[in-house]
Amino acid sequence: MERLRRHPELQAWLILAIPVIFLLIFFMAPLLIVFVYSFLERGKYGGVEWVFTLDNIRRVFDPLYFKTFLRSFYIAIVTTLITLGLGYPLAYFIAKSPPSRRNALVFALMIPFWTNFLIRTYAWVMLLRTHTGLINVTLMNWGLIDKPLPLYGNDFAIILGLVYGWLPVMVLPIYAALERLDESLLEAARDLYASSSKAFWRVTWPLSIPGVVAGSMLVFIPSLGAFVTPAILGGGKSIMIGNIISNQFLGAHDWPFGSALSMVMMIAMLIATLIYFRWTKKSELVT
Amino acid sequence: MSETFAVELQDVVKRFGDVTAVNHVSLQIKEGEFFSLLGPSGCGKTTSLRMIAGFEMPTDGAIYIYGERQGYRPPNKRPVNTVFQNYALFPHMTVAENIAFGMQMQKVPKDEIKRRVDEALAMVRLSNMANRKPKQLSGGQQQRIALARALVNRPKVLLLDEPLGALDLKLRKAMQIELKALQEEVGITFIYVTHDQEEALTMSDRIAVMNNGIVHQVGDPETIYEHPADRFVADFIGETNFIPVKVLSLSPTIEVELGSGEKVTAGWAEEGLAVGDRAVLSIRPEKMDLLELHEAAKLKSNDVARVRGKVAHLVYVGTDTRHSVTLGDGTEVVVRLQNIHIDEEPWEIGEETIVTWNAAHARVLKE
Repeated sequence: MERLRRHPELQAWLILAIPVIFLLIFFMAPLLIVFVYSFLERGKYGGVEWVFTLDNIRRVFDPLYFKTFLRSFYIAIVTTLITLGLGYPLAYFIAKSPPSRRNALVFALMIPFWTNFLIRTYAWVMLLRTHTGLINVTLMNWGLIDKPLPLYGNDFAIILGLVYGWLPVMVLPIYAALERLDESLLEAARDLYASSSKAFWRVTWPLSIPGVVAGSMLVFIPSLGAFVTPAILGGGKSIMIGNIISNQFLGAHDWPFGSALSMVMMIAMLIATLIYFRWTKKSELVT
Repeated sequence: MSETFAVELQDVVKRFGDVTAVNHVSLQIKEGEFFSLLGPSGCGKTTSLRMIAGFEMPTDGAIYIYGERQGYRPPNKRPVNTVFQNYALFPHMTVAENIAFGMQMQKVPKDEIKRRVDEALAMVRLSNMANRKPKQLSGGQQQRIALARALVNRPKVLLLDEPLGALDLKLRKAMQIELKALQEEVGITFIYVTHDQEEALTMSDRIAVMNNGIVHQVGDPETIYEHPADRFVADFIGETNFIPVKVLSLSPTIEVELGSGEKVTAGWAEEGLAVGDRAVLSIRPEKMDLLELHEAAKLKSNDVARVRGKVAHLVYVGTDTRHSVTLGDGTEVVVRLQNIHIDEEPWEIGEETIVTWNAAHARVLKE
């Protein structure tokens, strides 16, 4: 005890020990298992044979799978851009509201989270389904369209579902950045002959980039790995890499290939993240 | 309008909801003048400044800059620049980028921007800081960059909102002198908002003393200090003794009666007072003197007031000593006596004394 008191850094380590051990066991260990599995042969009924092979990694780049890979990237990027496009103005609006109203608006933003994500996604199915969905049925009844619109079972449906699901996650960090922004900086910009749009692009936008980066990451990463949304809204026709991975483990019983896909995806994500950080750093990030 | 003023406020009113921040203010600020808006917080001085800058629009009245009515003109279209209280330097830009901002917005040619940024940095003696971020500078340095960022645009009028408020006392004193020298050098009209009366007295050509959205008095520092127009100004600027009195006569001489029954004359009485009114007599502590009872008897002049009192306590403050004296009616006044003769016999607590002052220095003000 006496020793502890004399060495405050020891106390810090003691407090840190619990989360560190927790993360080592429950986060690092599975990651390591996935890494090792990617280089092993598949077992007959799931599991692995302890024989080293590079076949799994090679198979990832098979056009059959690699195309899905690229499509998943495309969907994740489009989702991120749309949530950013919708989320930024929304965050801006909340941040500029009178302080008394801000909390209520943030609260309203969180309300969808009260309902299970699966149920909310199925609700979209009810709306979008090609022949029996509410939107198509209504439009047909009103005679606005002759044929049902292709709203379901395609990339459009997946992107719509992802944008819907991740929008609040984009808004919150941007809101936090904008809310911190000192109003007098904007006044200073206006005072120094900037129009309101110039003041936005030269002051507000660069100072909100940390929020934009955080929001984009929080949307891009889960979108890339999404499997519930494409499984439900893709209608079995349009799938993403997350669906292939889950299928390798649950359906095909090919754990090593599923692991290899996960590993490659994680590395791709890491690279994409690093590029993104590098790119936003250049646009005058506040350090 | 016979003369064109740098800035003119005509009967300006600003209301926020049901709060009136600025209440029928009219001011005329001359070209090249160092003009201060002085008053306690919430007096409307900052709101007035923000209306000149264009951050707030007047509810009523008109603002002219060089004879041009501003109306709803936005801040970026006004020939004024502001130095903000917290400096409001752009944290994501370097010092040089901060200074260049206004010129970039006005599409000044690049080589001219560079030249003027260098000049501005030299003017505030921070040339070696051009590539630093604002956060890497001290408070005083940030202050000078904020000044350079505004002045580099050569505004017709520079607006300063308590620019020295965040600095420590010593630095503030140094910056006051620097700022005043700079203003004389560049010859730009400065409108300076402060709650610090000493700062206003030190730097200004003229001062407008404000309270509760109203301008109480406009004048040069000496006038404001020596001839306060009303009780608020007398109280807010420097230190003053207020002695409750009753007005006995206003003309040809102004005479009042103290609570003790003693009668004295005064140099000036506020407009609107009538014979028989209750009022206060205002005299600065340094304008008063203390005499021994026998000395006072020798005084013959009618222009010198004599009032009996008793020394209540003494505070030695170096250059002078503050003598608190209780008058016959119980009013306590402060008399500041300079410590010139170290061998002089000091006053003692409880000692009977005569408080005297030159009648011309006493002003009768409304309660």
